[in-house]
Amino acid sequence: MAFRLLNSRLVQAQVVPGQRLFSQRGAMIAYTGDVSFTPSITGGQGGVMGMIGRRVAGEATPLMTVEGNGSVMFGHGGHHVHVIELSGETLYVEADRLLAFDGSLQQGTMFMGSQGGVMGMVRGQVTGQGLFTTTLSGHGAVAVMAHGGFIELPIHPGRPVHVDPQAYVAHRGDVRNKLSTALGWREFVGRGSGEAFQLELSGNGTVYVQASEEKL
Amino acid sequence: MNGPVIHDAQTLPVNDNVNPYAFSVDLNGQWFLQKGKMVAYFGQIAFHGIGHGPLDRIIQASFHSPLHAQDWVVAEGHGRMVLADRAFDVNSYDLEEGNLTVRSGNLLAFEPSLALKQSIIPGFVTLIGTGKFVAASNGPVVFAEPPIRVDPQALVGWADCPSPCHHYDHQYMRGVLGGVRMLTGFGGASGEEHQFEFVGAGTVLLQSSERLMEERPTGTPPDEAGVPQGGTPSTTANQPSTPRLPGQLGDLQRRFGL
Repeated sequence: MAFRLLNSRLVQAQVVPGQRLFSQRGAMIAYTGDVSFTPSITGGQGGVMGMIGRRVAGEATPLMTVEGNGSVMFGHGGHHVHVIELSGETLYVEADRLLAFDGSLQQGTMFMGSQGGVMGMVRGQVTGQGLFTTTLSGHGAVAVMAHGGFIELPIHPGRPVHVDPQAYVAHRGDVRNKLSTALGWREFVGRGSGEAFQLELSGNGTVYVQASEEKL
Repeated sequence: MNGPVIHDAQTLPVNDNVNPYAFSVDLNGQWFLQKGKMVAYFGQIAFHGIGHGPLDRIIQASFHSPLHAQDWVVAEGHGRMVLADRAFDVNSYDLEEGNLTVRSGNLLAFEPSLALKQSIIPGFVTLIGTGKFVAASNGPVVFAEPPIRVDPQALVGWADCPSPCHHYDHQYMRGVLGGVRMLTGFGGASGEEHQFEFVGAGTVLLQSSERLMEERPTGTPPDEAGVPQGGTPSTTANQPSTPRLPGQLGDLQRRFGL
């Protein structure tokens, strides 16, 4: 399945019979051929239990199933789009940033507390991710949206990357992340730098950052 | 690019983009432009409203869209004029003995060698002839060839091909589950049940987002965004809006639902 970027905000996907893909509802711009768009009641994979899991986790974004034979263009809200190819790794991303992804990818939800316990949950609150985030794993492509352009930062062992929680989009690979605070007396007297919280990512993988601090 | 580029009257591009969001017109004579889209100019340029003044001949020749008369002005003189619209992507297009239909809100300006006419599809205008025009879009414009089905909100315009028709897709509303879905609303809609379908030879222009630019009032505002005449008759048409300018045809067309 091939996602092809037409420009910075538009991606074209080839749909072939027998392979479905998921996309955010209403994100279709145009299509050629014989393609059908069906709202996915369960919001993705995993049947009813998967749906309940996502509803509880607040990661239930309205998705639709795209099937048929043709090519479809996707874009949403004028946001920038980036295509991430997965070959066996896991991508951690917020569900509302997903524009479209291959149906062959395994969709799941992850509890933020499972990475770093209580600090993980605090981190989820600060980044606006909430307590849960969506994971996609397997082999296939994902089209992810961001406000402003994409910046791809590699993470190497021993060289952690610090990102602004609001600018964080997604990460993949074997990455540990934790919230690092730089709180001092200045923050408490209202003279802070505005950068008191940072996301520290370490391990081996890639983090995607948007060129804006605005949430989608 | 390092920092802003400084332009003067000589270094401003001639009929070309200054950056993706601004377009510079080398004015030598007259241009039509939509109200409020000029951001700066060098030289001697006067802006006249349409419908009065010494412009009768040019308006007779190239303006056939009385409903939009209030939205357009004629720039007359010599100089360089910069056009922009709310940081939307701006592009110029050349027509050669051609025709192109574009959403009325997206058209920024055109040369008087082109004729502006109202499309029979409400909310759109057609340009016929030879010349240059400038149009805005939310995100870069993508050109596609029919046969294609297009999200109504993503359509900017089309050239040379027959007018589009509606295409409805309710396949998933069939069957027992579909019936339950339709009656209860459970499961929701895909948001893609309705498209514009283009067939035949030509080119379709799409913007990169389904976020619509604000529409120009054309008599009957649509119910659903982007769908011409999709809704109830307009409420604004009955209001005595702005004082009528001399030389304008009045509200007759709106009464007839054009």
